[in-house]
Amino acid sequence: MVTMAIAKQTLEDMLRRKILLILLIVAVGLIALGPSVGFLSPRESSSVLRSLGLAVILIAGLLITVLSSIQVIPTEIERRTIYTVLSKPVNRYEFVLGKFLGGLFTVFVMIAAMGIVFLGVLWYQEKHLAPEMMKGVMMTFFQMMLLGAMSIFFSTFATPVVNFFLSFGIFMVGNMSSVTESLTSNPNPATKVLASIVHFLLPNFGNFNIQNKLINPSVEIHNENVFIMQNIVYAVIYSSVLLIMAILVFDKREV
Amino acid sequence: MAAAVSIQGLTKKYLDIWNKAEITAVDHLNLEVQEGEIFGFLGRNGAGKTTTIKMLLGLIFPTEGSATILGKPLGDINVKSQVSYLPENPYFYESMSGWDVMDFYARLFRLSEPERSKRVKAALEDVHLDPKAWRRPLRGYSKGMLQRIGIAQALINDPKVLFLDEPTSGLDPIAHAELREIIASVGRRGKTVFLSSHQLPDVELVCSRIAIIHHGKLLAMGKISELTAGEKVEIRATEVTDGVIEKIKSICGLVEASEGKLRIPSADEAQVNGIIDLIRTDKGTINTIMPHKRSLEEVFVETVMKEGGA
Repeated sequence: MVTMAIAKQTLEDMLRRKILLILLIVAVGLIALGPSVGFLSPRESSSVLRSLGLAVILIAGLLITVLSSIQVIPTEIERRTIYTVLSKPVNRYEFVLGKFLGGLFTVFVMIAAMGIVFLGVLWYQEKHLAPEMMKGVMMTFFQMMLLGAMSIFFSTFATPVVNFFLSFGIFMVGNMSSVTESLTSNPNPATKVLASIVHFLLPNFGNFNIQNKLINPSVEIHNENVFIMQNIVYAVIYSSVLLIMAILVFDKREV
Repeated sequence: MAAAVSIQGLTKKYLDIWNKAEITAVDHLNLEVQEGEIFGFLGRNGAGKTTTIKMLLGLIFPTEGSATILGKPLGDINVKSQVSYLPENPYFYESMSGWDVMDFYARLFRLSEPERSKRVKAALEDVHLDPKAWRRPLRGYSKGMLQRIGIAQALINDPKVLFLDEPTSGLDPIAHAELREIIASVGRRGKTVFLSSHQLPDVELVCSRIAIIHHGKLLAMGKISELTAGEKVEIRATEVTDGVIEKIKSICGLVEASEGKLRIPSADEAQVNGIIDLIRTDKGTINTIMPHKRSLEEVFVETVMKEGGA
C-alpha cells in the first residue's frame, strides 16, 4: 500500500512535468507527420514510417526515462519533501520501490501513448493493423525499464548530472553488445579482459533492438517469441538486482 | 511518568573524506522528555536542534550514543506510526491539492477508507484551514496555509509524540498566534510535543520544560518556572551621587542613572547588600527593592553568553 501510494504520487508528479510532456508532444507529432514524407514509393514509405516510428519511440523513451529517473530521488531530497515521507512509517525500500514504479508507470504511459499513435498512423497509411510493431514498442519499454532501474541505482549516490552521463554512457555501450562480444575474443589480453568485463557486467541493451527484423521482413530471428521472453526475463532480473543495490545504498544514506 | 523521548550521549559528527571529525553538530547530548509534556528545545542557529530531531526520526544516523522514543530504539517502524514531524519551512508536493496531499500522507500510515477520509477531514478542520482551499493546488497557498497543512499532516495519525521544528517561523502575527494556540491545544490533548523554536515568548507560553543547547552541548534543562526564578533583584534609589553610581556600575554593569535617580534592573542577590551599603553611606535614599522575575529570553541569553556566545 505504501509503495503504491508513493508510486501513484510520483506518476502524478511526473505527468505534470512540462519537459516530459513537451517530449511526448514532439514525439507524437513526429510520428504523426511520418506519412507526409511523400516522395517515396509505397514500399519505401512503409519502411521509413516504421523506422521513424520505432526510432522516435526509442529516443523519446530514452530521454523520458533518464530525465525522470535521475531526478526522482534527488528532487525529493533537494525539496526536502522526503522529510515528511521518511519520518512516517515508511521503510526505505518502500520509498525506493515506489519511486521506481512511479517512474516506470510514467514511461509506460508515455510509450503506450506513442505506440498507439504509431499503430494508428500505420493503420491510416497501410489500411491494415500492424500488431507485430507492438513487439518493438514492448521491447523498447523493457529496455527503458532496465535503464530506469540503473538510473535509480545511480541516483542513490550520484548527482543528477553525473547520473545523466553515466546512464547515457552505459546505455550507449550496452547497445554495442555485439561489438563488445566480438572483442572478448581479441588476441590482445588487455582488450579481451576489458571487453569481457564490459560485456558481462553492463546491461545488454542491444538485445532489445529488434527494429531491423520488424522493418525488413527478410530478417528473421530464430525462435522469436523465446528470444523476446528471454530478454524480458533478463530485464526483470537485472532490474531487480539494480533495485536491491539501490535499496542497500539508500538504506545507509543520510537525507 | 514514562519518558516519551530519552536521549543518551547522542553525538553527530560530520566527517571529511579522511574520516577525521570536521564538525561536531551534536555533542554527547543527554535529555528526557516525559509523556504528555510540551518540551521546548532551544538554541541558536546551528546549535544542533534540527540535527538532533533528524537523528531521532532516522533521517540521519548518530555517530555515537543512543535514544529511544516511547521506549523503542530509533528507526523502529512501529514507533514511527505513533510519531509525527513538522520540518522547518516544510515543502510539499505543490501540484497536489491540500486534500490530496493529506490523503497521500494518510496512506503512508496505512489508513484505509473510510477512516482515511475521516482523518483527513478532521486534521484539516483542527488546523482551521478554509474548506474552500482544500481542493486547490498547494502552489496557490500562503505561507500560513502551508504551515497549517504541515501541522495537519503531523496530526493525521493522532500521534503520541510530535516533533515540531520552528513551526511559527515566518508567519504573520495572526497566523503565528493561531498556530501557537493549535500547538497548545495539542498539548492539552495529552500529546507529547518536542518543540524546537527561536520564538522564546511562544516557548514560555506553551512549554512546561525546556533544554538549551549550544554548539551541540546541553547547557541547561529544567522547568521554565525554575530557570526563570527570582535570583535577581531590581533596586531603585534617589539622591545618589555620581561617584557612587560609578562604583555601582563597576559591580553590576547594567545601571540606569539620571539626575541622581538610579535603577538597577537586574542585580544578583549576592550584590544587593553591598549596593545598599554604598547608597546609604552616601546619604542616598532606597526607594524599592523588588525580586525580579527573569524572562526566558534573559535566561537563554545569559546561558549562551556564559559559554562564549558565538
